Amino acid sequence: MAVPVNAIKAKGRKQQTKRSSLSLKRMMANRYLYLMLLPTVLYFLIFEYKPMYGAIIAFKDFNPFAGVAGSPWVGFKNFEKFFESYYFFRLLKNTFLMSFYSLLFIFPASLVFALLLNELRIKKLKSFLQTVSYLPHFISLIVICGMIIDFTKPGGIINSLLLGMGIISEPIQFLILPEWFRTIYVGSGMWQSLGWNSIIYLAALSGINPSLYEAAVVDGAGRWKQLTHITLPGILPTVLILLILNVGTLLNVGWDKIILLYNPGTYVTADVISTFVYRRGVMEADYSFSAAVGLFNSVINFTLLVLANRISRKTTESSLW
Amino acid sequence: MNVAKRKLALLLPVLTLLVTLVSACGGSNNNGGNAAEPSASSGAQSETAAPVEGSRSVGGLQVPIVADKLELSLWSPSGGNFRGTDFNEKYSFQQMEENTNIHINFQHSTEASAEAFSLLMSSGKLPDIIYNDLWGTDSGKYGAQGALLPLEDLIEQYAPNFKKLLDDHPDIRGQITSPEGHIYYLPNLVLDSQDLTQMFPQVRSDWVEKLGLQMPQTTEDWYNMLKAFREQDPNGNGKKDEIPLVTVNLENIMMLFAPAFGVEYGFFVDNGEVKFGPNDPRFKDVVAYLNRLYEEQLLDPNYLVDTTFQTLTEKVTTDVAGAWFGWSGSYMGNFTTLMEGKHDTFKIAAAIPPKGPGGDQRHVSFRWQAAAHGLAVSSKTAHPQEVMKWLDYQYSEEGILLNNFGVEGKSYDLVNGEPVYKEEVTHPTNGLTNTQELLNHTIGGGSWATVADTRYAEQIREANGQTENPLEIYKDYIDFDAKLPPVQFTAEENEIVVPLMADIQTYVAETINAQIMGRQSFDDYDKVMKQLEQMGIGEVLKQYQAAYERFKGK
Repeated sequence: MAVPVNAIKAKGRKQQTKRSSLSLKRMMANRYLYLMLLPTVLYFLIFEYKPMYGAIIAFKDFNPFAGVAGSPWVGFKNFEKFFESYYFFRLLKNTFLMSFYSLLFIFPASLVFALLLNELRIKKLKSFLQTVSYLPHFISLIVICGMIIDFTKPGGIINSLLLGMGIISEPIQFLILPEWFRTIYVGSGMWQSLGWNSIIYLAALSGINPSLYEAAVVDGAGRWKQLTHITLPGILPTVLILLILNVGTLLNVGWDKIILLYNPGTYVTADVISTFVYRRGVMEADYSFSAAVGLFNSVINFTLLVLANRISRKTTESSLW
Repeated sequence: MNVAKRKLALLLPVLTLLVTLVSACGGSNNNGGNAAEPSASSGAQSETAAPVEGSRSVGGLQVPIVADKLELSLWSPSGGNFRGTDFNEKYSFQQMEENTNIHINFQHSTEASAEAFSLLMSSGKLPDIIYNDLWGTDSGKYGAQGALLPLEDLIEQYAPNFKKLLDDHPDIRGQITSPEGHIYYLPNLVLDSQDLTQMFPQVRSDWVEKLGLQMPQTTEDWYNMLKAFREQDPNGNGKKDEIPLVTVNLENIMMLFAPAFGVEYGFFVDNGEVKFGPNDPRFKDVVAYLNRLYEEQLLDPNYLVDTTFQTLTEKVTTDVAGAWFGWSGSYMGNFTTLMEGKHDTFKIAAAIPPKGPGGDQRHVSFRWQAAAHGLAVSSKTAHPQEVMKWLDYQYSEEGILLNNFGVEGKSYDLVNGEPVYKEEVTHPTNGLTNTQELLNHTIGGGSWATVADTRYAEQIREANGQTENPLEIYKDYIDFDAKLPPVQFTAEENEIVVPLMADIQTYVAETINAQIMGRQSFDDYDKVMKQLEQMGIGEVLKQYQAAYERFKGK
């Protein structure tokens, strides 16, 4: 995949030079290509860009009957309300920690999993493991959460296992104890997404030129040396691009899973910005407020994305732009 | 040139296709608005509403309401117990259409009604009539936004049946009037005070008998009974698997025990002063009591996780649950029906509200005569008069009978002038409970903008083998002075209350649960109160007090 990323960049540069010399004539000549592009452009304009206009209700006191344009401006009032909220710092901390832990554990886990799969020489076992590992990705979240609740109950499979192995002497009420919430959230997230996330690495791995390995074997490199000198450098650009993208969504936690799993007993560690917005904005129909919080969330995400990209570009060759 | 033209002609179909695609997508967003079409086309006739030929009077209301069939749209959740997909499948609404000549296009949402409702209201595209179960707090807000039509004048002119009810029961008017003096919705009405009780404590009375106990009278009795349930194996399977007290949420447990200590979990009135339970020093005793129950595993240790009615039903029907706090029909009635023939002695009895150590004994889980659920009229309607008349029909004797009992000969028979449900309704053989079967034929008197008929609940109760009315014993304990009435806030008051309470509710839920579970000490409850003070509970109480005074003045 190292080659493709660089190739894309190279292509982009080539196109840029072309674009400067573009004439209407050239466009007409390629009109069918442009026509094929049209649906995508329309899609983005209509479904991705037009709704952004609605974000201005964050600065208004939105009343659906006056409409977006007719609602009065209130400046930064909704943002102030959020920043002044008693739980603001806890929400921020929980949101950040929850996604940071997800990034810290789930991101490398799928990479390691892909590398291990790649080392497997039995084709059938490999594809079996791969299929099994990405099955959870297709289970509906409601079902997943039902399973988590059942597994973590005092009489559930996890407690039975731990009791059986003598690790604990009393069943643990996992879902009631706040100190367990992040572990459950991240752990189940790993189970859910490990296989699916590894697909892209496996694709990158298959892009590495086999002759490199052959040459390395001739030079006397073992499996470990092959891994550190060919495999890892080969997929590093992919890893970095995915890491940058992940950092860009650092504050987007899977709020639906939290809502299905949390309760007042675990608010301390489980309540995040988006669940707070759900309770405040959707349940109380305070749309301007939730829009403001959502916008705040997006701005931070965007900033992080830019930062991560810049750091990556400075330190390595790979970057999103 | 010609070539270019020909090429353009080739392009056209593609473009058309694209445009259709795009406009189709746009169109699907307009779901809520399609109701406006029929209304607009027949808008002219509402001006020329002359007395309809062959009409008759129903309590002063002329039916049929219109000469030519009129279509109105109505948004409502379809409700958990109704097994169909459209309310027009019910006999009662079919008959109503025949009588009024108004066809209702029902727009149903599924169960998550709070979210569905607020999404509907924010869409700005409203049907003619809107159902909601939180009009008490919502109507003022949406009324001020201009989403709802103020109904006072329309009631005066076009709703003789509803007006008569208001005149006969002057309290009702106060319960549904907004701070600005508007009526925005027509409520569900219960006129008989013994029917006002909603949820109440229910105990496995066969267990009580088996263990040689008495039905509990005080909080100490409750403790002893639950302890006996826990330790003396009342289900007789040799295992200590009994869960003495089960619940779907903490609120229900609080409604059971907090009044015995003189407080409530939420807002209540104490000698004319609005108070917030957790902000009252007496609340510490409630927490201490519940902590005792939790520590000794008398309160379901899973109560924070098992929050669905399904898990509760499972515990009751597998014979491990001893007591709970719930509704007459959907708890007591359902459980009894489910266990019929599966258990020899299964019996549930209602317990009176427990008396606390300080002598407090009140029943707080009751509703007001006018409920917060009912029907409102959207400001977008093109037919305010006809809508009002149709709503008024729900309160006519004919409409009340239809809503509670359905259609004569189909779901009930008249016996000595009294409506009596048919056998297949009270004892359905199709696998449904009788409440579910009944709701297939009627709307059910307790959940619609109509008057709930006492005979409806009575007959279902009898069908469920409950010869005496469990609600009767609560009559003496209902305390209207201590229960916060359905106060409504002005927009300014709301502005203060909503954000402060959002944090306070989180804090209270988190702290109280931690103290019950023994993760946090309740010894220095002063700290909790200090914290609440800091979070602005005083400011909130001020708004409540103002709203309460206004309510009293009405």
